[in-house]
Amino acid sequence: MEILSLLSPMFFLLVMFGVLVGIIFGAIPGMTATMAVAVCLPMTYGLDLTNGLALLLGLYVGGISGGLVPAILLNIPGTPSSITTTFDGYPMTQKGLGEQALKTGITASLFGGLFSALVLFLFAPTLADFAIKFSYIEKFLIILFALTVIASLSKRLLVGLFSGALGIWFSLIGTYDISVGGNGEYRLMPEFLVDYLESGFSLLPVLIGMFGLGTILQEAEKGVREEAVDSVKFQKGAAFSFSVFKGQFVNLTRSGAIGTFVGMLPGVGGSAASVLSYTQQKNFSKEPEKLGKGAPEGVIASESANNGLTGGALIPLLSLGIPGDSTTAVLIGAFTLQGIQLGPLFIGENLDTWNVMMVAVIFANIVMFTIMFFAIRHIAKVVTVPKYLLYPGILMMCVVGAYAINYGVMFDVWTLLIFGVFAWLGQKVGLEVAPFIIGFILGGQAEVYFVKSLESFGTLTIFFTKSPIAIFLWGLIVISVAYSVHHTVRAMRRKNGGSGV
Amino acid sequence: MNQESDPFSIAIDFPQSHLFFPNIVHWVLLILALSIALVHGREIIHHVQGWAESYREHGLDYDRLRLFGTLGLVIAYFLLMNWVGQLFPNTGMGFLLVSMPFMALLSLLYVHDINRKKVLIILANAIIAPFMAWYVLAQLFFITLP
Repeated sequence: MEILSLLSPMFFLLVMFGVLVGIIFGAIPGMTATMAVAVCLPMTYGLDLTNGLALLLGLYVGGISGGLVPAILLNIPGTPSSITTTFDGYPMTQKGLGEQALKTGITASLFGGLFSALVLFLFAPTLADFAIKFSYIEKFLIILFALTVIASLSKRLLVGLFSGALGIWFSLIGTYDISVGGNGEYRLMPEFLVDYLESGFSLLPVLIGMFGLGTILQEAEKGVREEAVDSVKFQKGAAFSFSVFKGQFVNLTRSGAIGTFVGMLPGVGGSAASVLSYTQQKNFSKEPEKLGKGAPEGVIASESANNGLTGGALIPLLSLGIPGDSTTAVLIGAFTLQGIQLGPLFIGENLDTWNVMMVAVIFANIVMFTIMFFAIRHIAKVVTVPKYLLYPGILMMCVVGAYAINYGVMFDVWTLLIFGVFAWLGQKVGLEVAPFIIGFILGGQAEVYFVKSLESFGTLTIFFTKSPIAIFLWGLIVISVAYSVHHTVRAMRRKNGGSGV
Repeated sequence: MNQESDPFSIAIDFPQSHLFFPNIVHWVLLILALSIALVHGREIIHHVQGWAESYREHGLDYDRLRLFGTLGLVIAYFLLMNWVGQLFPNTGMGFLLVSMPFMALLSLLYVHDINRKKVLIILANAIIAPFMAWYVLAQLFFITLP
C-alpha cells in the first residue's frame, strides 16, 4: 500500500488550499479555473508530483465550483460553465432565496463531481488499456477527431478548423527533433531566433499568456470596470433544506452524466455541458414553465453538469494524453514539468500517481462542499474584491510562471507577452482559442504520427485501411463535421429567414 | 504491392522531412482561409463596413489609456526586471524591486474614482504581494526568479 505513504498531511492541506484559491478565482467574474491553475503553477515547481497534483486538482475542482457564487448573487457567471446557473439562481436571489440557491448549487456540484470521479475511476483505465493497442495511425486519427470535435462546436466550423490548424503551425516552429525520428533541421523561423526557438515555444508561457495576459488586455480595453457591487447581502428567506432534492435524483444523475460525457469531448468546455443539461431538464420537467423563474431544479441541472466536467475532462487526458478542456491543457504542462508522459501507458506505469489523483479529486470535491456549504456567506464577499488590485497580482504571478518554467529563461516571459497580445487580437477577428490551444498541444505529436506512418507504409490509403478502429474513427470524424455543417447551414437559413434576406 | 501503381503512394525524402508536415499545414491553412472567405465573406464585409461606419461616427470605442498603458507597463516591467535582475544575480531582486512599482502603477491605471483610501490600499498591496510571492517562491521553494 505505497499510496498511503504518499498521502501526507501536506497532501490534504494542499488540496484544501487549492480548492479555496480555486473557489476564489471561480467566484470572481472574468477569472476562470484555467487562470487559477496557470497562475498557481509556479507553486508546484518546488513540490513533488504528488503534492503538485494535490494543489492543481484542488484548484481545478474549486475553480469550476466557485463560478456559481456570482452567477446566483449577481447574475454574472463567474465561469462560462455557470451561465445556466444564472437562469434560476438569480431569480431565487431576487426572491430572497440566495442562500438556498447557493447551497442547492453546492450540493449539486458535489454530486456531479463525485459522479464524474466514479466514471473517471471506472472508465479511464479501460480506455487506456484499449488505447495501448493503437498504432501511430489510430493515434493520428484520434488527434484529427479531437480537432474536428472542437472545431465543430466552435461558433463557425471553418474558423474553428483554421484556429486548430494555426495552433498546429505554431507547435511546429523549432527543430524537427531527432529523438522522435526527425532530421534535426530547423523550420518556420528566421535565423536570428534559432537560439531562442530551438525547441519551439514552451507550452506553459503560451497558455499563461493566452489565458492570463490575454484576458487582462481584453478587460483593459473595456476600461476595467468594476461591477456595481460594494457588498453582498443575504436577504432573510426560507432556510436551505435537503428536501429541495426530493424527486431530483434523475435530474442530478442525468446532468452529472451529461457533464461527464461533454467533458470527455476534447475542448468542448463547460458552457456546452450546462446548457445541454439545463435544456434536457426543461424538456423532462413536470413544471417546465417554472424554469428560468427561480426553480431549484434549474440550478441543480446546471451545477451537477458543470462539476461533472472535472472527472470527464480528465478521462481523455489520462488515458489518451488529449486534454478535455483548457484547464486540463494546463495540467498537461504540469505533468510534463514533473517528467510524466500522459497517454495510454500512464495509468499502468504510474498506478500510485493514478490512485493519488483519484483521492485528490474525491477529497477536493468534499472539501469544496464543506468550505462552500458552511462558509458561503464569507466566500460570497470575494465577488466584491476590486479588479484593480487583482489584475496586477495576476500579471505578476504569470511572469513568475513563465520565467521559472525552464529555470530562468527571459524569452519565455516575452513568449507570454507575444501570445497574450495574440489572444487579445485573435478574439477580435474571431479566432477560437480552444481549438488553437488543442492544435498547439497536439501538433507535434500529430506530425510524428502522420509522417512516421507514411514513412512506414508509403501510402495515404493506410489511414483508411489499417484497422476497424481507424474506420470507426473516420466515422466519428465524418459525423462531427456533418453535425457542424448541418448546424451551421440551419443557423444561416434561420438567420437569413429572420432578416428577410 | 507495387507502390508505383498506387496513386496515393508517398515517399518522404528524409533530409527534407522537416518541411513535409509544415507544408501540408500551409496548404490546409490556405484552403481553410479561402473557404472562410467564400462562406463567411459577405458576413465579414458587413462586419467591417459596420465597424468602419461606427468608427466614422463615434471613433474607436475602447479605453486607450488603460489598454496601451497596460501594454507599455508590461513591456517596461519585463525589460527592467531583467536589467535589475542582472545587477543582483540569483537573488530574485529584479522581480521583487520592479514588481512593486509595476503593481502600484498598474493598479493606479485601473482604479476608478480614486481617493486616499484606495491609494493606501493600492500601495500596501503593491508592497505586500510581491514580497510575499518573492519570499514564498524564491526563499522557501528556491524557485528561480529574475
